[in-house]
Amino acid sequence: MRVDFSLLLPEMLLAGLGFLVLIVDLVLPQERPERRNKAVAAVAVAGMAAVAAMALATAPDRTESVYGGLLFIDAYALLFKTLFLGVGIAVVLMSVEYVGRVIRHPGEFYGLIVFAVLGANLMASAGELLTAYIALELLSFCLFVLVGLTRGDRRSAEASTKYILLGAISSAVLLYGISLLYGTMGTTVFREMGPGLAINFSPTVIVGFAMLLAGIGFKLALVPFHLWAPDVYEGAPTPITALVAVLSKAATFALLLRFLAEVSTGRFDQWQLALAVLAAATMTVGTLTALVQRNIKRLLAYSSIAQVGFVMVGVVAMTEAGANAVLLHLVGYAFTNLAAFAVVVTVEAKTRKEEIADYAGLSTASPLMAMVLTAAMFSLAGLPIFAGFITKFYLFTAAADAGYLWLAALAITNSVISLYYYLRVVREMYISEPEVEPERIRLSPSSAGALWVLLAGTIAVGVYPGPLAAAVDAATDALRAYAGGA
Amino acid sequence: MISEAAVWGIIGLPLAAGALAALALLPALRPLARASGYAAVLGVAGAFGLSLAALDSTLGADRAAGFAARSWLTVGDPASAGGFEVTVGLLLDPLSAVMVALVSGVSMLVMVFSLGYMRKEPGGEGGAWADYPRYFTYMSWFTAAMLGLVLAYNLIQLFVFWELVGLFSYLLIGFWYHRPAAAAAAKKAFIVTRIGDFGFMLALLYLYLHRAEFLAQGANPFEIPDILAVAPLLSAGVATWVALGILAGAMGKSAQFPLNTWLPDAMEGPTPVSSLIHAATMVAAGVFLVARMFPLFEESAVALNAVAIVGGTTAVLAAAMAIVANDIKRVLAFSTVSQLGYMFLALGVGAWQIAIFHLLTHAFFKCLLFLTAGSVHHSVHTFDMRYMGGLRAWMPLTYAATVIGALSLVGIAPLAGFWSKDEVLAAAWSADGAGSVLVSRLVFVLGMAAVFMTAFYVFRLLLMTFHGRFRGGIDAVPADELTPDEAILAGHVHRAESPWVMLLPMAVLALLAGVAGVALNAVGAFGPLPAHGLTHFLGGLSRDFDQGVAGLSTALALAGIGLAIAAHRRGVLGLTDLPRPWSVVHRFLAGRLYMDHLYETLIVRRLLYRGLFFAADWADRRLVDGTVDLVGWVGRNGGRAVAQLQTGQVQVYGVGVFMGVVVMLMLFMFQR
Repeated sequence: MRVDFSLLLPEMLLAGLGFLVLIVDLVLPQERPERRNKAVAAVAVAGMAAVAAMALATAPDRTESVYGGLLFIDAYALLFKTLFLGVGIAVVLMSVEYVGRVIRHPGEFYGLIVFAVLGANLMASAGELLTAYIALELLSFCLFVLVGLTRGDRRSAEASTKYILLGAISSAVLLYGISLLYGTMGTTVFREMGPGLAINFSPTVIVGFAMLLAGIGFKLALVPFHLWAPDVYEGAPTPITALVAVLSKAATFALLLRFLAEVSTGRFDQWQLALAVLAAATMTVGTLTALVQRNIKRLLAYSSIAQVGFVMVGVVAMTEAGANAVLLHLVGYAFTNLAAFAVVVTVEAKTRKEEIADYAGLSTASPLMAMVLTAAMFSLAGLPIFAGFITKFYLFTAAADAGYLWLAALAITNSVISLYYYLRVVREMYISEPEVEPERIRLSPSSAGALWVLLAGTIAVGVYPGPLAAAVDAATDALRAYAGGA
Repeated sequence: MISEAAVWGIIGLPLAAGALAALALLPALRPLARASGYAAVLGVAGAFGLSLAALDSTLGADRAAGFAARSWLTVGDPASAGGFEVTVGLLLDPLSAVMVALVSGVSMLVMVFSLGYMRKEPGGEGGAWADYPRYFTYMSWFTAAMLGLVLAYNLIQLFVFWELVGLFSYLLIGFWYHRPAAAAAAKKAFIVTRIGDFGFMLALLYLYLHRAEFLAQGANPFEIPDILAVAPLLSAGVATWVALGILAGAMGKSAQFPLNTWLPDAMEGPTPVSSLIHAATMVAAGVFLVARMFPLFEESAVALNAVAIVGGTTAVLAAAMAIVANDIKRVLAFSTVSQLGYMFLALGVGAWQIAIFHLLTHAFFKCLLFLTAGSVHHSVHTFDMRYMGGLRAWMPLTYAATVIGALSLVGIAPLAGFWSKDEVLAAAWSADGAGSVLVSRLVFVLGMAAVFMTAFYVFRLLLMTFHGRFRGGIDAVPADELTPDEAILAGHVHRAESPWVMLLPMAVLALLAGVAGVALNAVGAFGPLPAHGLTHFLGGLSRDFDQGVAGLSTALALAGIGLAIAAHRRGVLGLTDLPRPWSVVHRFLAGRLYMDHLYETLIVRRLLYRGLFFAADWADRRLVDGTVDLVGWVGRNGGRAVAQLQTGQVQVYGVGVFMGVVVMLMLFMFQR
């Protein structure tokens, strides 16, 4: 079998970039840590931007696959690759100041982010279960290490330990599920599994599939597999929290959506109820628990659990409109959540504070950050002109059109309740009187620039989703179940 | 052929200029306040230049140049039944090209005038140019919104700009927000137009619900060209209901009876604002909207008759109210409402091209008259005509401009107003529209009556302001009638002509008010000018000059003028001390038919406060709050209960994973 390696060039270059970042950190002089940090970050950002540009420029105009269907190089993968590289760039940009204060070895930090992005990219391309598993583990291991990278911080160490332990359990479950499926069907390639999965209801298939979903559910922090998330979110270095919340979830959704769309050609609704109940439980638990949080990182953790529940609403629909809505929401959510985290990271780097009450007076300390966080909160709550409104609208209509009216109604109810805790943050910033006169926070050009870009993205998706919707539509057309749709 | 980017520039330039002007609101850039005015003028002048280019391109071979609509958002799956795309785009055809040229041109002139008018008296707080940045920002954005409305390709896009026009008119009318009267007027304009907008929104909803009829024809239910193309194929009722909803929106914006009450109060804004909003832009939006959607109205005789009757009634009632007003701007405001009635009348009898023709000529002479009112105020600091008189002695140029505007408004040949008003009346008389003949004849009579009343109130205004002896200006106004802002100006009457920045726009408009009628739409070929140039350009309609109608209307106008002069000679033009029953009529009209009273006391207080709101309040407290409290209670306690799971114990978390697998298996069994 001949393999056209040029198709894999972006992935290879990205792997090379990861090592390059590590090496640059080693060869640069040790005595000026501030400059070394900035130089390494610059290499990572420039490299990822170059890879993204290259991936877009060299993208084949039709669906290609390599290694006999193990990896797909198509519009769907391309959309996610661009998104993930963008997320990687944003996370590096927002963490420069943070790393300068908290982390001793910038090379490890940025290098692992690059490898995590590589893992995510492969997850979006994978067309076979073991390939997907390896990609997922590449991402997960990078995150395990990154979560524990603030050495000497007990919370960080605890979070990392928990994450590894539970990650191991879920990996075991996932692998067991894969082996059961393989044992019955004799294949792990998505497209070949389809017919068997749709008609074969032997207990091995059912248990195998449930375990597979459980493993994926762990990565997505679906209820009841979510219990690790708040502890890890709180303990991890904050930029890594952003990475876990955005990159790892979007990548897992990319995998799940492709899996569901490739193994079935529409007749795959036996699992819809299970997925719907998971979605309902996830958003309800996420929303209700977020109501009582005081720490902003824990708030964002539960909020992201709730958001995952909302995305699952689109997955449950199992229609092209649902898949489009999921992709659209993931992009809008990436902008929005990164905007929120960029503010949280910067505030933490400047003031070392992470309680919601500490945000009192932020509107005078830094009007830009207060504005960006407000926009992010409004968008997460789903208020118009921001991304969250339009993408949630698509998600819920897709579910309602697919006959899941109760799920859409529950999602709207949860959305309304979530207003309470999102607006609480806004109230702190603008209305509450701070105890001490807030000092003006000066932002570095890179943070300010990242904030503006993320804000612009959050609003652009909400005001003019047309071009993005067209790109998303092209992406889902590459999936087998939705091929040929408009 | 003009490029699409250039047409977007028509909207974009005023928008950018407004943003630039807003920068001067920053404390650090305060010294640049004066420059913000020039930035705004330049922005709108650029838009005017592009508008002329756009107009020129529609004069050529390919007249209708709709630009490819871009997908804004999709509703449902566009590939399947019931799904469609909501688009944004530009619709450049003769109608919108004429309108953008008019809007940007008038706006430019008004902004130049404002450079002089908005300058504060020296020694005021913040320097002479303190009001500039905020004023010119609002004005630029208002203009941009209006231009966007005119160029909209999609009804939803149009609605967005429609609401933006409403928002900026609110900000402009309430520009002097510290004055309670201005704040109240702004609020009133916003709320009353909102009632109409609700009708517009219902029309949009109705379109959405009946989208299947459009999709079956391969048309988009919100794209204007598609709606107009599909209009003849729509099932009975759909066209009528949509047209009536749109009419409601148009009535609100164009201040048609019974939604006319906001416009006279809106005179609380700065005079140039009144001139812009009430001559060429906001109130014209309603007329434009009906003209734009005309093929839809044509499918429904009911809707057309409604338009005609609303127009005819408004023309007469507003003219009657104008007769008894003493505030020069109020007279002009009622006059605007009355003239808009003429335009609706023309629309209702099927002559939308003529409605646009009258809209154009009216824009010129009414804008001119508002500017002259501003010029007069600049001298005597009051708008009350009872304290003016004899101003022609030291304001000869303003006087000359007013005479031209007045004669044009009355409709005396050969000034612009004569030609357009005559065509409106001739169209009503011929009654060859899709509406009923009876209605056409009825509104013809109403229109003729309004001619007589118009002539009387216009000359009443002219004579009371410029003739006779000077009655003291603001110094003569009783102190208890002055607002605190006005009281400062007492004793500052300067008997002088206004500065040239104010006179120049007036001169341009006076020229237009004089010749536009012949130049745009001559009744016969006239030198290089083609016959019926404008109406042909807009869409082919032409009607021969009707000498009978013209003779009758001129006779009525002259009678009205004669009556005004006679009353002036006898010194009773102030219309005080009238004998019964005229005094009763006077009181009734001066009270504006007690419509405000009716709305406020009967509908708002009695019906809404004591009836509907009371019931709603009860339901809200008992039913809604109770439910919300319950949800909140569940939320609080549920949150605490669920948070208990978060023990921090890894073992518990691990159990969760396996619980999940079990639950999924059970659900799968259940689904089987």
